[in-house]
Amino acid sequence: MQETIFSYMDPAPPCASENNILTGLTVAIQPNLSVRGWPAQAGSRALEGFTAIEDATVVERLRQAGATIKGAIYMSELGLGLTGNTGADALKNNKADIVLITDNLGESRVSACAAGVFGFKPSYGIVSRFGLIGLIPSMECCGILAKKLADVSRVMSVIAGNDNRDLSMPDFGPDFGPESGFEFESGLKLPDFSRVFEAKKPARSCGVIKECLEIMEKDEQSAYEAAISKLAKRGIQPIEVSLEDFNMVRTAHNIIGAVEASSSAGKYDSVRYGHRAAGSKNWNEMYLNSRAESFGMPIKSYLFQGAYFQHENYNAFVDAARIRRRLSAGLDQALENADFIMLPTIRKAIDPFTADTVNEIYDSFPWTPIANITGHPAITLPNMLTCKDMDLGMQIIGPRFKDANILSLSAQLKDQA
Amino acid sequence: MNYRDRSECGRLNLSDVGRQVHLFGWVDSLRDHGDVLFIHLRDRSGIVQVVFSPEFTDKAICSLAAGLRNEFCINVSGQVVKRAEGTENPCIETGKLEVITTSMTIFSKSSALPFSISEKAMLAGTDNPVHQSVSVAVSEDLRLQYRYLDLRRPTMQNFIIKRHKINKCIRKYLDDKGFIDIETPMLTKSTPEGARDYLVPSRHFPKRFYALPQSPQLFKQLLMISGFEKYYQITRCFRDEDLRPNRQPEFTQLDIEVSFIDETFIYELIEELLIRIFEINGITLPRPFPYITWQEAMESTGTDRPDLRFGLRFVEATDIFTNTSYTIFKQILQRGGHIKGINVKGASEQLSKNILQNEYAKEIVPGFGAKGMTWMRITNGKLDSNIVQFFTEDEKRLIIERFGAGDGDVILMIADPSRSLVNNVLGQLRLHVANRLGMIPQDSYCPVWVTDFPLFEMTESGITSSHHPFTAPDRTDFDPKDMEALLSLKSRAYDIVINGEELGGGSIRIHEKKLQHKIFQALALSEKEVEEKFGFFLNAFDYGPPPHGGLALGMDRVIAMILKTPSIREITAFPKNRSAFCPLTQAPSEVDYEQIAELGLLDIKGKEELPGASQQKEQIDNLSWLSRIGILEGERPAIKAVVADAVKMAGHVNKKAGSSEPMFSVFALKNRFRDNTSSKISNKVENRDLFKNAPAVKGDFFKVDTILE
Repeated sequence: MQETIFSYMDPAPPCASENNILTGLTVAIQPNLSVRGWPAQAGSRALEGFTAIEDATVVERLRQAGATIKGAIYMSELGLGLTGNTGADALKNNKADIVLITDNLGESRVSACAAGVFGFKPSYGIVSRFGLIGLIPSMECCGILAKKLADVSRVMSVIAGNDNRDLSMPDFGPDFGPESGFEFESGLKLPDFSRVFEAKKPARSCGVIKECLEIMEKDEQSAYEAAISKLAKRGIQPIEVSLEDFNMVRTAHNIIGAVEASSSAGKYDSVRYGHRAAGSKNWNEMYLNSRAESFGMPIKSYLFQGAYFQHENYNAFVDAARIRRRLSAGLDQALENADFIMLPTIRKAIDPFTADTVNEIYDSFPWTPIANITGHPAITLPNMLTCKDMDLGMQIIGPRFKDANILSLSAQLKDQA
Repeated sequence: MNYRDRSECGRLNLSDVGRQVHLFGWVDSLRDHGDVLFIHLRDRSGIVQVVFSPEFTDKAICSLAAGLRNEFCINVSGQVVKRAEGTENPCIETGKLEVITTSMTIFSKSSALPFSISEKAMLAGTDNPVHQSVSVAVSEDLRLQYRYLDLRRPTMQNFIIKRHKINKCIRKYLDDKGFIDIETPMLTKSTPEGARDYLVPSRHFPKRFYALPQSPQLFKQLLMISGFEKYYQITRCFRDEDLRPNRQPEFTQLDIEVSFIDETFIYELIEELLIRIFEINGITLPRPFPYITWQEAMESTGTDRPDLRFGLRFVEATDIFTNTSYTIFKQILQRGGHIKGINVKGASEQLSKNILQNEYAKEIVPGFGAKGMTWMRITNGKLDSNIVQFFTEDEKRLIIERFGAGDGDVILMIADPSRSLVNNVLGQLRLHVANRLGMIPQDSYCPVWVTDFPLFEMTESGITSSHHPFTAPDRTDFDPKDMEALLSLKSRAYDIVINGEELGGGSIRIHEKKLQHKIFQALALSEKEVEEKFGFFLNAFDYGPPPHGGLALGMDRVIAMILKTPSIREITAFPKNRSAFCPLTQAPSEVDYEQIAELGLLDIKGKEELPGASQQKEQIDNLSWLSRIGILEGERPAIKAVVADAVKMAGHVNKKAGSSEPMFSVFALKNRFRDNTSSKISNKVENRDLFKNAPAVKGDFFKVDTILE
């Protein structure tokens, strides 16, 4: 039978270290994460025949901690949106305990939700991106899919933290527990993922973004309200918060994402690696032809949009970044009033796995890109927000860099559910 | 600010010990020893170490000094002292001294630098190679964007100052010789000859244009007719040519024109001038400059810019093979072809059979435009090659004799029906082999005058002037309709070439109207065309023009050669980059609609082609070009639609943007510095990992399609 989940499987995985924190855990990755000697095409012809020449930090740390990297699953081109749900299939068929999916606009959460598993997008900057063939550098995060919350925390305890090869990470001090909180610039602490399941003071409030309710379908809205009232019965009070620019998330994400993608994809020039078109007369033609053949339609569209903003309307990019600041500050503000923000993860009527234009991709990711724009940690919990048998996913967003807290909170909510 | 009492940092010396001095300059580097702070203070003259210590510096000054960072602009007063033995710094001229500070003021602070400016080690022993190679380690566009900082570096200051000295020397020399510096206009008339013009629209004459000068050629000749006799100008010229790595859209030319002289006057004048300006950087050019005719240069080196620093002169071998049975040569000779070669002395160890056959014969030489190359090595007095068996004993003996070949030599031959192709390819091969085998002595200079150029050359569009149509021919008794006779005419033009680089050229000009018309006739220019293009100029020839001639030197190339910089951008204060773009000012840039409207450019070609309309038509093609992503068949409608979406989104965010600071990353990014290790080649290059994924590799290079168009 033709393999439909894995694009590459390690024929002889290196012996995992014994009695280590991740010993026995199997991990599937996407082929945009470098493993030395593995094909790493990131789903794109722009990287045709590319073999990684070193290990990504995440891979290195997982292996050191005893995990076995089983192989790489099929992925969408350069990780924008989802093409099929190979991540979910790997988990459902017990091909892996953990699947890592790069989260550009919610891919890991949406994929997990559809599979009925946990899907966690960490705070931006807490997990190294060294060795990741990325697309949107200021937003992409290493998303984690798992059936068990405990596996998510174990993996986070291994992969999170300083890496001087990823220059975009903040400096984390030594870990002093999930309650220690962070102070910006100085004294930023890495959350302690080892104490996620210890007893905590329970959550008291859940933020409901007013502007979200307004754009939900009727039955989505009633499902959402049902979930809220279940939480309320357990002593978690809904607090209405306002995020005036919520309806601008999609546009801002699209503009910033396209610009960054256009910039990131500039390196695919067919000189040092990747597909090169035959028979060009000169180097400009070589670029034009090679890149014409290298990119599939959604990505190519995205890159043309990025080129438009970069070359013809840079102000639009700056404007989007202004909106981004308001969104980020607004979410921080809301999280001072509420312990967490609750949103659905997916839409009822739209299938994210067959979207094949930029618009369809954004249509199918309405609730998740906010956390990519602002960099907050977010997780989707299965079977907590359902609409007529369909799990819409309970997505909760927590304060920046309090990733351990949000996992503790998830544990509480699941226990109580 | 007491500038009258100012001392210059780099000029302090032992005789200043004990003096109270006032210094002005920039903090080049700092070294903090707890209580004691050492800084290198830099001004145009150099660097001196300045010390702040609670021992002799006021507490308030010490704490002010604690806030100093690189490139703060400050004023320091203090006493010059001799450094303690063992703490001298031989890397700087003032290394035996330091200034102990008594007062200091900060004129202005500096933000974090985009690249390091300091070029000297802070102290002896902490030599940091990275600092000394800013030119190598920092991207050139970044340097050009912050050119004012780049120019703070002593190396760059030295280049610019030396350039000034060279110009000064030229002016003095020419002034002494009775030359007059006369300015010619920058806004002048477009002449469609030669390179493309840079056009300047005129507001007063809507839809008409001035052109920036490609050279002051016509004006300097008019100045001769005006009777100035000896003219010079160091002037900017402009050419909108295709991009080349070492070419700028504007460049500086030393322009000279003299009346009542012949070629020898120019040769002597320029030889002496070049001698003097090369001497400014300590380079002594060998005198006298030799001459080589164009013919001789082409026949012996394959180029009109011969590099004479090494041998490898061409050897004629056509006659050796008149009766050969070697098929390839035989066929070429039957078609009237030629065979020439070079003898690479003692190179048989470096040029193995494999290199000769697989690299040169199969790849390199075909790349130069020939079909192939014949090679022979000499071992034990005998020829050794893959084709020697086809030669007769006589042929073999003649080859060895003709090429003066001995054991260990390698003979390379090119054969082709076209003589110019043989010369051209052999010329490229000569340079390639010389470079590869390190046969070109560095720091050696071989100037040569190239003379006797052909007056005309044949191109696809007919006969054209090799130089320009005002160049005097060697004879005047030619028939302007006899093509063969025309092509055999020599011109009175000359080029000065050093080390294979053409630094300048000129000619004796035509001063008789009748002869000038004959030339135009030969060029098949109608009287109407001549009148339109050169009418104003030719009219002047009705009023007693003197015999005259001149020359122009490309000063950027001359100075780059004198200062030994790889690129002319290094010796230009504010150059454009390789793409003819200025990263500092972002020129060329868009202009306001109103400006274009005022110049009457909006409907210059009539109403059917408004710029707005064609822009809309071409938007995705423009984006395709800018991002170098081609559009495949069938993709256009979808791409048009997403770009239209993007335009809508832009309008949308514009309305909602507000005025908060844009956020480009979710937390404040900060500068990070790599550990101070010396730069080295990644082991991924050494173990060739980096090449494994490449579509095509050649040696240590990624191979791509042709770079130059």
